Amino acid sequence: MKAAVRCARHNSFPLLRCSCLITSLILCLSGCVPQSTNVPPIQDDLGRTIQLGGTPHKVVSLAPSVTELIYASGAGDKLVGVTTVDNYPPDVQTLSRFSALPVDFEAILALDPDLVLASDQINSPNDAATLAEVGIPVFFVSVSQLDDVTRAIRRLGTLLGSESYADQSADSLTQSIDSLRVLTRQTTHRPRTLFLISDLTLYTFGHGSYMHEVIEIAGGLSIAADLTTRAPVLTDEFVLAQQPDVIVGTFGADFEPKHLLIRHPTWDVLNAVVSEQVYAVNADLFLRPGPRLIDGTWQLARTLHPELLP
Amino acid sequence: MKAWYGLLCVLLVASVAVATALGNTVSVADVGHVIWYHITLGQTTAPDLVADRIVWQLRLPRAILAMVVGGGLAVVGAAMQALVRNPLAEPYILGISSGASAGASLFFLGLLPPLISKGLSMPLAAFAGGLVAITIVYAVAGGHSRLSVARLLLAGVAVAALMASVTSFITLSSPEPDKLRAVLFWLMGSLHNATWAVLPWPAVVTLAGLGVLLILSRSLDAMLVGEEPAHNLGVRVEFIKKVLIVLAALVTGSIVAASGAIGFVGLIVPHAVRMVTGVTHRKLLPACFMAGALFLLWADLAARLLLPGEQLPVGIVTALCGVPFFLILLRRSNYGFGN
Repeated sequence: MKAAVRCARHNSFPLLRCSCLITSLILCLSGCVPQSTNVPPIQDDLGRTIQLGGTPHKVVSLAPSVTELIYASGAGDKLVGVTTVDNYPPDVQTLSRFSALPVDFEAILALDPDLVLASDQINSPNDAATLAEVGIPVFFVSVSQLDDVTRAIRRLGTLLGSESYADQSADSLTQSIDSLRVLTRQTTHRPRTLFLISDLTLYTFGHGSYMHEVIEIAGGLSIAADLTTRAPVLTDEFVLAQQPDVIVGTFGADFEPKHLLIRHPTWDVLNAVVSEQVYAVNADLFLRPGPRLIDGTWQLARTLHPELLP
Repeated sequence: MKAWYGLLCVLLVASVAVATALGNTVSVADVGHVIWYHITLGQTTAPDLVADRIVWQLRLPRAILAMVVGGGLAVVGAAMQALVRNPLAEPYILGISSGASAGASLFFLGLLPPLISKGLSMPLAAFAGGLVAITIVYAVAGGHSRLSVARLLLAGVAVAALMASVTSFITLSSPEPDKLRAVLFWLMGSLHNATWAVLPWPAVVTLAGLGVLLILSRSLDAMLVGEEPAHNLGVRVEFIKKVLIVLAALVTGSIVAASGAIGFVGLIVPHAVRMVTGVTHRKLLPACFMAGALFLLWADLAARLLLPGEQLPVGIVTALCGVPFFLILLRRSNYGFGN
């Protein structure tokens, strides 16, 4: 206020006076905007504050796992666009597609969504900033543990106005996991399990990943649980020293267990190789932190404990 | 000088022993047991099978490959610096490593015609890629009566850029994330592929290269003074230049095929060694080989121990450990290159 008074007195500085006027105008305007909408701002899983104009009607998903979570929360009919790598549920085939890595901003703008949903695993907050500049809010979903799947489904249900469906869906997933826990608790036999993302380069899930919990619920013991990095590349030596009883990996459809020995000839003495406990599994069930992770956990349990789950 | 070589030799043997013994998966006693079992040709009690695989099939060939690669790169680096009379020269300056990277990624991502890729393996594809690159460079630089060093360098830089963009394009457009990760890992330079089967070819080529360079060492000394003076001293300059290029192509190509492009060793080690031995190649080259071998052996050990159980490409460690050491050397000595 003091500054404004001083401006008015010094008529010899018209520019300064102008800027004072503009500043007070902006102050007034910015005070007015939030009052025009009744929806309170919300926070996404990354702690970013988002302002919505109301319940969104047109939604775009930036990651396949998020798409699956949206369908599980009962809001699939609000989706207008998904990425080119989306393949589940089959309904996504009818939706508009755009490239997500790098994000095709023009294609998303053309879909005119009220809200874009992203995964903190794949998408970058920088991309969100670009979308925010053109007035499209971005909500980040973070699923780093198994519990986060049901939490994310309920959250999306609230956000997209399909709460009761989402609650039912989350409840049935929780029930499914709980009944599997009860089943695998019947045995004390915990095969040492190694989950590999690739058999060429030994990428695996490291520190703080949901995969260790998945393996535990499925009745195994994850040998990579104590590693310190998030996305480690294992050495042949580490695997030899850890002696896994079972090796499970997203090795692709054309995988044959003998490939593993060609690429890692020293593994001929591994329990898993000697007893032929090497399995290729469907990548979409394990690498997408979405509702089908629970299907993956069941599938893994059947692999680790065929005696319990015929 | 003899004492220096003796010391380096002892250090090398000791370092191989240390590199084989260290690691947090097998006890030192077990390591000793495995080594003793193989020294006695299996006449003693058999060691634990897992320990045997780790020590004899993973750590030992890896330590030896580290020596071959480090030594080879350092020697070729010294020779390239003499060839182009430029302290910035290194084994990759003629586009060999970029060519090899392009060849490896083309093969890895299955983009070569099936007829060609059937007869190839990844190291062979890398080797072929390196040869293609240097052939282009040589054709450009040597098209006249004299092989121009300036043209050689510029063509090398240009072809390296071309090959790098080929590699980038291939990796970017790759539909298979699995193979892409493998290629990216390979491009960073790593010794984790070392097996006894991988070793013989790079070892033989590198040692043969060192031998030929030692025979040529007097001519190399003369080249450092300049092509004209060397010619006046009776050195067959054009012939030497061609031999050097072919040697560099063969040795570097074989090394890159086995380990990917490990940077820094071939540039810095020759300079560091020159500060101790002086510029005479008969002293410089053997010392370079041993110093390069020692350096990469320890860099790889550091890479192995920094992240236990996980792979850290040694190419990341070489510069991290080597540069501070080199900068201190550079500041303390009054180093002159080639005169």
